[in-house]
Amino acid sequence: MLRPSASFILDQRESLSSPPPNLAPPATMAPKPPIQAGSGAGYYAARAEHHAVSSHWLAQAQAAVDGGPAKPGLSESHGDRHRDRENASFSVIDEFNFWRKKPDLAEAVAAIMALAAVIRTSEATTMMELEIELKKASDTLKSWDTTSISLSAGCDLFMRHVTRTSALEYEDFDAAKARLIERGERFGEISLRARKTIAMLSQDFIFDGCTILVHGFSRVVLEVLRLAASSGKLFRVFCTEGRPDKTGLRLSTELVGLGIPVKLLIDSAVAYNIDEVDMVFVGADGVVESGGIINMMGTYQIALVAHSMNKPVYVAAESYKFARLYPLDQKDLAPALRSVDFGVPVPTAVEVETSARDYTPPQYLTLLFTDLGVLTPSVVSDELIQLYL
Amino acid sequence: MPDVQASVNELISKLKRRQVEGSHATAKETAILLRTVVSQHRGPNANQASSFIDAVKAVGSQLITANPVELAVGNIVRRVLHIIREEDLSLATTGIGGLSVSAGSDDDDETDRNGRLMLSAASVAAASRSALRAPSLHTLLEDLPDQSGSHHTSSSGGDSEGKSKSADKNSKSWKLKQSVIEAINELIEDIDNCHAQIAEQALEHIHQNEVILTLGRSRTVRQFLCEAKKKRSFQVFVAEGAPRYQGHVLAKELVAKDLQTTVITDSAVFAMISRVNMVIVGAHAIMANGGIIAPVGLNMVALAAKRHAVPFVVVAGSHKLCPLYPHNPEVLLNDLKSPSDLLDFGEFSDCMDYGSGNGAPLLHVVNPTFDYVPPQLVSLFITDTGGHNPSYMYRLIADYYSADDLVVQQQRFASRK
Repeated sequence: MLRPSASFILDQRESLSSPPPNLAPPATMAPKPPIQAGSGAGYYAARAEHHAVSSHWLAQAQAAVDGGPAKPGLSESHGDRHRDRENASFSVIDEFNFWRKKPDLAEAVAAIMALAAVIRTSEATTMMELEIELKKASDTLKSWDTTSISLSAGCDLFMRHVTRTSALEYEDFDAAKARLIERGERFGEISLRARKTIAMLSQDFIFDGCTILVHGFSRVVLEVLRLAASSGKLFRVFCTEGRPDKTGLRLSTELVGLGIPVKLLIDSAVAYNIDEVDMVFVGADGVVESGGIINMMGTYQIALVAHSMNKPVYVAAESYKFARLYPLDQKDLAPALRSVDFGVPVPTAVEVETSARDYTPPQYLTLLFTDLGVLTPSVVSDELIQLYL
Repeated sequence: MPDVQASVNELISKLKRRQVEGSHATAKETAILLRTVVSQHRGPNANQASSFIDAVKAVGSQLITANPVELAVGNIVRRVLHIIREEDLSLATTGIGGLSVSAGSDDDDETDRNGRLMLSAASVAAASRSALRAPSLHTLLEDLPDQSGSHHTSSSGGDSEGKSKSADKNSKSWKLKQSVIEAINELIEDIDNCHAQIAEQALEHIHQNEVILTLGRSRTVRQFLCEAKKKRSFQVFVAEGAPRYQGHVLAKELVAKDLQTTVITDSAVFAMISRVNMVIVGAHAIMANGGIIAPVGLNMVALAAKRHAVPFVVVAGSHKLCPLYPHNPEVLLNDLKSPSDLLDFGEFSDCMDYGSGNGAPLLHVVNPTFDYVPPQLVSLFITDTGGHNPSYMYRLIADYYSADDLVVQQQRFASRK
């Protein structure tokens, strides 16, 4: 009889001190057992979550206790119900924004934490229900920002993990659910560790006296350079200006703080200075199936220049950015547009290219540094196939 | 133990003095030595595998530091470590299968003990198998259970001591040692037979009346060409491979097998490359990105071949496959040999005299042993497992090596200030 229910977390939260009173068959409409204020009310509120007891019935029961007429509408009992819970009305977007505010957390990680929170507050009793809820939440997150690849890649990765962690391993739904929540919440730690792993792997490739060209503001690349500087390597960095996002200015401020000599280049000056450059380091918004990357506008151009001058192009990307996309050319990407401020008013007849990112094909990339290890671009599709098929 | 240490020291001094040369000989000696280490190892009965791994790592790191340029040493050490992990895993899965059968009979205390994680035997095996492979996307979210899974196996192993007799334990550890030694024997056999297995593929690649170019002398290439000679007739251009001029020796061997051979200087390679159908060379080591460490002069040949769209084929045994990425191969993975190969000291003694002037000679002689050929210049690798693209090398590495063993030496990332 006292088999642990799916709302065991809720039950604990309500902290029922007394054992739950005898359960009346939910079909009866009359509030049969005496409703004690305190544990009893909490218990029935909990049963209402299960939809074992209809909220209408609950309203009537409350009314009977209060001695007044039945409170109209479901919204009141909904309000009751919500007040009992720790967080106010749960929305996955709110949760996601909460996690995103943390400075070191990437978007994909925030998404996964939000999905873990969905599981935590879910009332599903079977894996299928849970998956459906998660799918809805994941679609909501994806629709919040349709252009972010790492966001949808992170959601897909977690969904994939959920569908794999199923009854094969666990006889008990609760254990599986607890495990999923635990994994999702650990993911935040994994992502921080991922950056450290990537930084460690790239150290050998930075040698004393080298010149590194960096494009865009990537926290991973910054971590790489920070570790190299703190281990006493002597090198200098060329930073592209990164119009119109001013990434170069932000990055050079950070690098000066680390004591690394920085030179700022306008985007067109890359080919002019490519002779002095020993390697190019970029981050990635997403890594696609072919092994190419999607990154800030200008990456493709720099990769072309570097390739023609035989300079290696290294990409630092965490593995949750691997996405199941296969763009064949630049127009195959979902458009991500942002307006460009030219400083002077542009005549309305003039068209402006507003795309914010481009696709760099794999033949222009030398190596990818990921938390799965150092990879050549051809390994990426292998990894994705292992996960999805 | 003492005689093992003595043979370890012997091999270390041979490596340091470069008395053992060539990846084939080095690989074989390393494998034989590690087999001795494993067979002589007297470790604790519980967790036998990690004591093996520690012992092999200890010996292996000494060998690698003795000659860091000879990558075959590190390759064999990592192969043996991977063998130990694999054998341990396969024994554990058969062992756990037996355990869960016995557990079913007295289930109440089993369920008590396995209260927290109710993982089935299959999932534990799957978890530890995925721990063996390189980290991948689908294990990304499954970090913890691997460790707790392995704790589970070791704890259930410990529990079983109370249940079953200790003789079972001893036989299990004996089995591990035996299977590891068997696998190392297979490895040694593979090293020996790699030339024959590669040569078997010769007929698919060399066709009638073709012109083949090679540089220097590689045993694998010689056997490859001789095997093809049995059914096809073709010509060979041999670049002499200064300053060792091993190409001359190869030319003589090929003529002895009735092959039409032409000897050319290294500088003539670019002139002759347009008349050549295919370039076939050996390598010293294959790196993880598909690049190769090859005898000096081969980077030039590869560039010439690329320029004229001539396929550049590398034949190499799988013991040459190294899981590391080259980040400064021209410097770090190169050996500089004596200048006497190039210049006769008698004639040049005044230029190279440290006593004259301000103590530094004006004439420097650089005699590197190896060249690094980047992966985009290589068309095909022919190994004992078949023909592969350079971008496929990571797969073979995942088959032969475990990710945990990439760093054999300790204190890798000590910060220097």
